[in-house]
Amino acid sequence: MTYQSQRISHWYFKAALLLFALQVVLGLWLAINYSYTLPQSIVNVFSFATARAIHTNLLVLWMLLGFMGGTYYIVPEETQSEIYSPAIAWFQLIALVVTGVVAIVGFVFGWTQGRPLLEIPRPLDAVVVIGALLFLFNVGMTMFKANRWTVVQGTLLGGLLFLALLYLFGIPFYKNVVIDWYYWWWVIHLWVEGAWELVTGAILAFILIKTTGVDRHVVEKWLYVEIGLFLFTGIVGTGHHYYWIGAPKYWLWFGGIFSALEPLPILLMMIDTIMHVKKRKLEIKNPFTFTLAVGCAVLHMIGAGVLGLLHTLPQINYYTHGSQVTVAHGHLAFYGAYALLNFLVFYYAMPKLKGIEVYNDTKGKIAFWTMSSAMSLMAVTFGIAGVVQSYVERMLGMGYMTAQHYMRLWFEVTLVLGIFFFIGMLFMVYDLFTLKPAKVKK
Amino acid sequence: MTKKVALWIFLVGTISSSALFLWLTWDTHRQVEFLANVDKLSDDVVAGKRVFEKYNCNDCHTILGFGAYYAPDMTKVVKRIGVDGIRYRVKSPEKAFANSSRKMPQQNLTDDEIEKLIAFFTWVGEIDNNDWPPQDSAKRLTRSEEVMVASAGLSPGAAVYQRRGCMNCHSLQGKGGSVGPALDKVGKRLKQAEIRRYIRDPKAVNAKAIMPAQKDLSNKELDEVARFLANLK
Ligand code: HEC
Ligand code: HEC
Ligand code: HEM
Ligand code: HEM
Ligand SMILES: [Fe+2]
Repeated sequence: MTYQSQRISHWYFKAALLLFALQVVLGLWLAINYSYTLPQSIVNVFSFATARAIHTNLLVLWMLLGFMGGTYYIVPEETQSEIYSPAIAWFQLIALVVTGVVAIVGFVFGWTQGRPLLEIPRPLDAVVVIGALLFLFNVGMTMFKANRWTVVQGTLLGGLLFLALLYLFGIPFYKNVVIDWYYWWWVIHLWVEGAWELVTGAILAFILIKTTGVDRHVVEKWLYVEIGLFLFTGIVGTGHHYYWIGAPKYWLWFGGIFSALEPLPILLMMIDTIMHVKKRKLEIKNPFTFTLAVGCAVLHMIGAGVLGLLHTLPQINYYTHGSQVTVAHGHLAFYGAYALLNFLVFYYAMPKLKGIEVYNDTKGKIAFWTMSSAMSLMAVTFGIAGVVQSYVERMLGMGYMTAQHYMRLWFEVTLVLGIFFFIGMLFMVYDLFTLKPAKVKK
Repeated sequence: MTKKVALWIFLVGTISSSALFLWLTWDTHRQVEFLANVDKLSDDVVAGKRVFEKYNCNDCHTILGFGAYYAPDMTKVVKRIGVDGIRYRVKSPEKAFANSSRKMPQQNLTDDEIEKLIAFFTWVGEIDNNDWPPQDSAKRLTRSEEVMVASAGLSPGAAVYQRRGCMNCHSLQGKGGSVGPALDKVGKRLKQAEIRRYIRDPKAVNAKAIMPAQKDLSNKELDEVARFLANLK
């Protein structure tokens, strides 16, 4: 760490970690809802719906905090200047965390917009928008003042702008449910398969340049190609969510073909990450950083690329749409692409923020392998449940609850795996809060 | 490849995809007018959508396949269980799902809210959405009917039971719905003729009956399913 204002990012990371811990607890509760019959009295007071809203909103919130913290860490080094206004950065962190807490308490009392993943009520949306504008202003001003443009900075700023712009489409009340879902996906799909990929590409490129010493021009050239392909396939690829909503039939073609190409940039990203790590010029200080970078690249490919591709063609999606197959993909994709990216940022930046050059990575490794194995297996169990559901409910037409009975075993196994994931999570959160220098080997 | 070529790949890729996407968006708006019967999008339908959002139904149920996967899809719910079926379940979920392994919360909706919801579900059920979901598709039923008929040598009554939605409410060997009683031993208590009469018009037998009259069964199907059930002892 060379710039004072980078310190703010430390608080973003800590807040993100605590919210992540809470998200996982709620995930366990959801799995309990699936595995056991809860009494009506509990369901009336704290239903699956409420818990799910909290689980998914916390997910988005902690990841955004992680991205913002990462941005505040990276931008000073890239621009070689202090952040334009540390005060804004502080204000914005507090505003976002308070909004999140109010939203979650609100959900418990039934204050909700009632649209999956976008449950945050409209008045709070306004706060989110103001926070986002301040953030963009702060980051943008830092970059403009420094005027030392790099591709990494440009991609980061572009991705964040795109991300904030898309959020606006999720705010209005749409009378027509078809149009509602049409724009809902501008937020959800264009986020995870567009804007967030840009942010990820930029952050990954930055960390690779810093840790491997590979020539910046090489990394940035690849970055251009990747984000170009991400947006080319991902924008029209939104159509893979428009097959069954009452939109025109041509979406079966456009959505199917473009989204089937979406794994290409992810594959490219995986290959170039591995190549850069292999061809590194600098000496290895913290080998765990590379474990995380390669783990992220590989699980990103499996969760998003492979599991996404499996059900993206309309012929298959007709039977798997809105089933547990979607859940299998949603979990491994979010974990592989964005949770691991955040962990990479945490393990890259937090030791430096504490002035630790080489950290002890024993607990971190245990955490990484436990969480990654548990989540990969959860994708398998959710996936099996989903295939059973697609077959029994959709192909045989035997009714929703009948199919659920056949699936129950797999939810129980998921719950057990979730407990392992939870333990891994505890290791990581504890580790990051108590990082220690490695004992010097002589 | 130079960095400049890479930049061009980025620009051309992004701009071409965005342009195509915006054009298709414009056209989709145009076509949704008739694909979703926007002329029938009344104030009641809109009010029903607001009720659906107010009670966060969508974080348990999917609609058009989106949302949570904890409970049945709502797209064709009117066709599947009828408006009375919806009224009863939303009004008294604690009774309707008392025996179910999965519960729906009692959220004390007013009668007016429930009527608005029904208007909303009715309108959604008529959207031309490429015949999704498959389990509620008319096409799938006829195709599976053929399969059922082919294997009907065993028990045509079992096929009627499975096909005509009895499973949504009744269970056999623990599989199926729980609004109605399990039918595993129904033959012990009721004779074939009694069963037949009950299915055709439950209220005629028991004035308080909750089961809706199964009007869409042909006489032949009625005989078959009654014979099948009467033999379950
Ligand atoms: C906590 C989760 C939850 C919430 C919230 C919820 N439901 Fe349900 N609902 C269920 C479950 C579970 C079932 C299926 C139970 C069964 O069949 O055994 C169900 C069944 C139904 C059915 C019958 C569907 C069928 O095909 O048999 C209707 C209609 C329904 N719900 C409407 C609603 C409406 C309207 C709302 C919002 C006011 C709502 N539900 C909120 C969990 C929920
Ligand atoms: C909407 C839910 C529903 C559907 C669909 C349904 N039933 Fe029922 N059924 C019930 C309920 C509830 C009862 C319990 C008595 C009552 O309240 O009507 C019942 C009772 C019965 C009984 C009498 C059982 C006894 O022990 O007295 C028979 C027989 C029966 N149903 C057969 C069928 C058949 C055959 C079908 C399909 C063609 C069917 N039901 C469809 C809800 C349903
Ligand atoms: C990191 C990137 C990705 C993430 C985080 C992600 C996440 C998700 C999530 C959470 C959903 C469920 C949304 C909902 O209905 O609630 C979803 C749906 C879907 N995703 Fe992805 N995804 C990613 C990339 C991809 C890619 C590259 C493909 C295709 C190749 C893809 C194909 C699909 C499809 C087809 C669905 C719809 C499933 C359905 O019909 O129910 N995804 N994704
Ligand atoms: C203990 C670990 C976890 C368990 C047991 C768990 C369980 C669940 C369950 C049961 C659902 C509801 C699915 C449904 O509607 O039927 C869900 C939703 C979701 N969870 Fe988790 N979860 C866990 C951790 C995570 C993590 C770490 C992430 C992200 C990295 C995550 C991301 C999501 C997403 C994106 C959804 C919405 C899925 C969709 O719409 O398809 N979960 N989770
Ligand atoms: Fe998508």
